[in-house]
Amino acid sequence: MAELEHVQASTAALSATPWPRWFAVVLTLYIAAIPPVLGGMTASPQWLLPRLAWTAIMVMATTGYSALFAVAAARWREKTGVALRLDVLPKRATLPLAIGLPALLVGPAVAFRGTGQPVWLFAASGIGAAVSVAVHLVFVRLHRQTS
Amino acid sequence: MNPGTRSSASDPTDGFDATIHAPNRLRICALLDTADEAEFAVVQKQLDVSASVLSKHVTVLTEAGYVEQRKALRDTRQRVWLRLTREGRQAYQAHLAALRAIVGL
Repeated sequence: MAELEHVQASTAALSATPWPRWFAVVLTLYIAAIPPVLGGMTASPQWLLPRLAWTAIMVMATTGYSALFAVAAARWREKTGVALRLDVLPKRATLPLAIGLPALLVGPAVAFRGTGQPVWLFAASGIGAAVSVAVHLVFVRLHRQTS
Repeated sequence: MNPGTRSSASDPTDGFDATIHAPNRLRICALLDTADEAEFAVVQKQLDVSASVLSKHVTVLTEAGYVEQRKALRDTRQRVWLRLTREGRQAYQAHLAALRAIVGL
């Protein structure tokens, strides 16, 4: 049983290999872009650009991000030799993110629409970027410890 | 499931599977259960066994319907990816439960 646990632990460490640095940068930029773009999409009256232009920016950013995610995921699989699974990551890290990040990205747009203060959007953008960098560094450290 | 290798339903070791129980096959199943899918070379490296030994055990597991193989190109070379079938995952989990029952965990 101890041998099985060892095999499972070393495989889980492999499955928890962090993203390549270039994709961590892409992910951070995408997360940082969401609050201002979402704020622009939902602003009333319009903010800086027409709402349609903000929507087009969001569609382009999401399409570009999805394409780069597909490339990163394929390269990650080639590098690690295992399937990409998010459920092997520690729940203490993924659960707060799954709840907190959507709130952090959507909430400021609502606050901006209510108050007209863009500081909400830029603050959320900065916090989102910081969280993205921190999560990446945590997984780099976690992977080094377990592998 | 291999009915011939299992004990009766009332037996505490129900789920024990002789096909999986061989040490290397048990380790292969443990790895694939955790990884979902893994490349042959990665399994070989993780388990520290030769390609021929791994191939032999994978063949046994494949013939039992517990493991399936997929071929994919990587760096212009064809690589084999291994994964547990649903039947294989169920058999492995049942075998693990039987082992725990035997050792009293």
